[in-house]
Amino acid sequence: MRSVLLYTLMGLIFLYCLFPFFWTILTALKPSHEIFSLPLSYFPQRPSLENLENVFQKRPFGRYITNSLIVAGGATALTLWIASLIAFHLRTLDLKQAEKIQRYFLVGAIIPPTLLVIPIFIGMSKLSLVNNYFGLILSYIGLNLPFAVWMLHSAFRQLPKEIDEAALVDGFSWMGRLFGIVIPLSKPAFSITAVLVFIFCWNEFIIALTLMPSQIKYTVPVGISMLSGASVYEIPWGEINAAVALTTLPVLLVIAVLQRWIIEGLTAGAVKG
Amino acid sequence: LYPSNIFILISLFVLTLPTSVSSQTVLRMIGPEDLGGAWAEVIRNFHDKHPDIQIDYVSGPWSTDERQNMYIRSFLSGNPFELVYMDVIWTAKFAEKGWLLPLDRWFPLKRQDEFLPGDIQAGYYKGHIYRVPVRSDVGMLYYRKDLITEPPKTWEEFEQLCRKYSNPPERYGIVFQGMQYEGLVCNFLEYLWGAGGTILDKEENIDLETPENRSALSFMKKIIDEGWAPKSVITFQEQHSLEFFEKGGALFMRNWPYAWKILSRSPLKGKVGIEPFIHRTGQKSAGTLGGWGLGVARDMQYPEAAWKFIEFTTSAKAQKILHMRRGAVPVRKSLFNDAEILKENPHYKELYELLLKARPRPVHPDYARISSILQKHVSAVLVGIESPKQAASIMDRSIRSLFKGKKSGWFYRLIVDYDLSRTLKNTVLFTAISVPFEFLLGLSFALVINVPLRGRVLSRLSVLIPWALPTAVMAMVWQWMFSNPFGVINDLLLRAGLVKGPLDWLSTPVGAMFAAVFADVWKTTPFVTIILLAGLQSIPKELHESFSIDSAGSLKKLFHLLLPMLMPFIRVALIFRVIHAAGIFDLIWVLTKGGPADSTRTLGVYIYDLAFRFDEIGYGLLLTFLFLTALILISFIIVQLTTLPYERITR
Repeated sequence: MRSVLLYTLMGLIFLYCLFPFFWTILTALKPSHEIFSLPLSYFPQRPSLENLENVFQKRPFGRYITNSLIVAGGATALTLWIASLIAFHLRTLDLKQAEKIQRYFLVGAIIPPTLLVIPIFIGMSKLSLVNNYFGLILSYIGLNLPFAVWMLHSAFRQLPKEIDEAALVDGFSWMGRLFGIVIPLSKPAFSITAVLVFIFCWNEFIIALTLMPSQIKYTVPVGISMLSGASVYEIPWGEINAAVALTTLPVLLVIAVLQRWIIEGLTAGAVKG
Repeated sequence: LYPSNIFILISLFVLTLPTSVSSQTVLRMIGPEDLGGAWAEVIRNFHDKHPDIQIDYVSGPWSTDERQNMYIRSFLSGNPFELVYMDVIWTAKFAEKGWLLPLDRWFPLKRQDEFLPGDIQAGYYKGHIYRVPVRSDVGMLYYRKDLITEPPKTWEEFEQLCRKYSNPPERYGIVFQGMQYEGLVCNFLEYLWGAGGTILDKEENIDLETPENRSALSFMKKIIDEGWAPKSVITFQEQHSLEFFEKGGALFMRNWPYAWKILSRSPLKGKVGIEPFIHRTGQKSAGTLGGWGLGVARDMQYPEAAWKFIEFTTSAKAQKILHMRRGAVPVRKSLFNDAEILKENPHYKELYELLLKARPRPVHPDYARISSILQKHVSAVLVGIESPKQAASIMDRSIRSLFKGKKSGWFYRLIVDYDLSRTLKNTVLFTAISVPFEFLLGLSFALVINVPLRGRVLSRLSVLIPWALPTAVMAMVWQWMFSNPFGVINDLLLRAGLVKGPLDWLSTPVGAMFAAVFADVWKTTPFVTIILLAGLQSIPKELHESFSIDSAGSLKKLFHLLLPMLMPFIRVALIFRVIHAAGIFDLIWVLTKGGPADSTRTLGVYIYDLAFRFDEIGYGLLLTFLFLTALILISFIIVQLTTLPYERITR
């Protein structure tokens, strides 16, 4: 009896969380006359990829994906690089001191981007980095660094001190110890941090909207949000849903593969403060 | 150096390289999607004449507001789009800010005479001309010639015709543009002018608490209340009105000249006439002047090249291309006598008269703010949140306080800022409703998922998904799901028999707020669940096992045992959620744009508008700073409230 109740509840949670996503995929697969006809069909009568083709042919959607990959990829690589330098340095400090420094970092992580967008924009226009990939990458590094440092620091701490002492004896340099020993040894935490930072950058909206005014530099979320206004006629819901399905599916797969570590990583990052 | 470092250094280097190196002069402009390829043809012809100048037509969003934002952001960034393709109403602000180059030396009075006077006048600001008209526009009344013999001149005649000939829902009286956007102001002004009112007098004084304004608003409301216009008109832009009219759904339509061409290819061909817009008995009719023109950004290298393009675009040849391909109304007077154009457009004689009488919207550097206030309150009247009397008085007060606030310093402005108090109220409401729901659901999810059962992985995975998907993108999906009539939420509710007819979620204040809260709860509950799940797992196993959902007294246990132990986790999640719900931007921006009638506009959206739409970065920064301070204070209060007595001792 109890497990029936629990399974029902679990099923409800599953349905609630995934319904919008299912609906997107279903809409994306319907030809447009089926999208705009009543009563709604819950399974496409004649599934077609017409919408998906349109997204790429009528709109520069491939370009948006490239932009997002450049920005999120560049920001993730640089964030992890800088974060590992900082975290590695924090490891050499004693725990109390390190945590004090961490706390300052964490305050930065809580501020919502809405409140950062004006200062960032002013800064970037002073540096002539508006409409430039590097400007957006720089902002994302700033936004994600606290989180990445936190994650890497707690991972690096778990390694025994003896390891780097041994490496020091073997003649490893500072960088050598970091990139040759500490990072390879904390690979799981390192990759999870990378995945999470990548997802954050891939999803970010307000700063990408502000720093990249020209259409050829739109990232995926900005591009999709502008699709509704791109045409005079009906909002192209078929294409929008196809675009959404296309950009969320990879995220979904990554999440499915890595879910256990993501939950651990997130809770480690968020709760210790 | 290690490979990863080298890779990063190389990518750094590549990213800072200038994007294009070319010897050609490249000029960029933003316009709407180039349907019909009119601009492509103009640019091709220009390129044949001036091969050394390349014009880059950036296809922007359809919304003019969005395109204006793109221009503003590009001006602020110091690397503006060189050619400024402007709506009439942008000129004053752009010129005031010093973003535009005066064009007097290339465009003397003698040449100006060849153009429609209203369009020229709209290009002036403080004695200099900044914008050369490219296409003209004027609001007017389309009517069904086949049904109505004598078109209405006055509101009273209009009323009689509506009563006589309309029988909703088959055929309504009129469709117009009722959505909260610039088009609504164009509509409103035609009623206001038609009632003898005005917004700014010659000395730029504002007076809107007038009988004229009240009667204009009342008449617009009457049109909706009496059912002469369909209820859905409050979500209409130009295209929606046109489609509605084209299907025979209304006797009259208020629209721009472009509609003629489309109607003449529809079943309504030959059944439609145009007339000046209706006015109050004893007053004069006036159509709102619209239209687009080109200006030149001040901060750029090739003003001469830009002028060459403007000169070409406004030549008779290019004007004809734009007209033929796109239905653009020409701005050169001579073209209204052009045989070729008249043959296809016999109505151009009447249109010419309308254009000569067209009235510009107020030329004022703060026009965008004024318009946004008007939009809000006209919309509020149409939706039924404010009475015409209230709206007239609030409009008046808001615009006055805007002018006064700008003059008398920030502190005073904070106090009188009507938008600020309104958006603050919405923000508090949004946060106060969504955060408790997120916690309630988040805790229940965590409790269910925490029970070790087979298949638990699947439910844990499903909870992660809303969290991982981009908010802005999912907001589009929610907009789709809440839409009417093809939205799935209405469909599900109808099938379940919970509602009688489809609901207008996004076009009613309560519905839109509900949709925003619902989408936010969906998106952020997982975050709460994940944190609380970690909390549950940190609780010793023995305590765990003594707690189960169906055992007696489990609620008591929940409150006395679990919640206190979860407190540190609840605290973290609460701080995060309150701060991020209060700072919400992307969800609102995409889902409702803050509408209808500002009922879902939050502080984050207001601050963004201030900085990037109204170009008041200073005031925006001030609000940002105050907002941040408030959030820090709230976080401290949350920490104090959630710290339990025993925690204080152990510290």
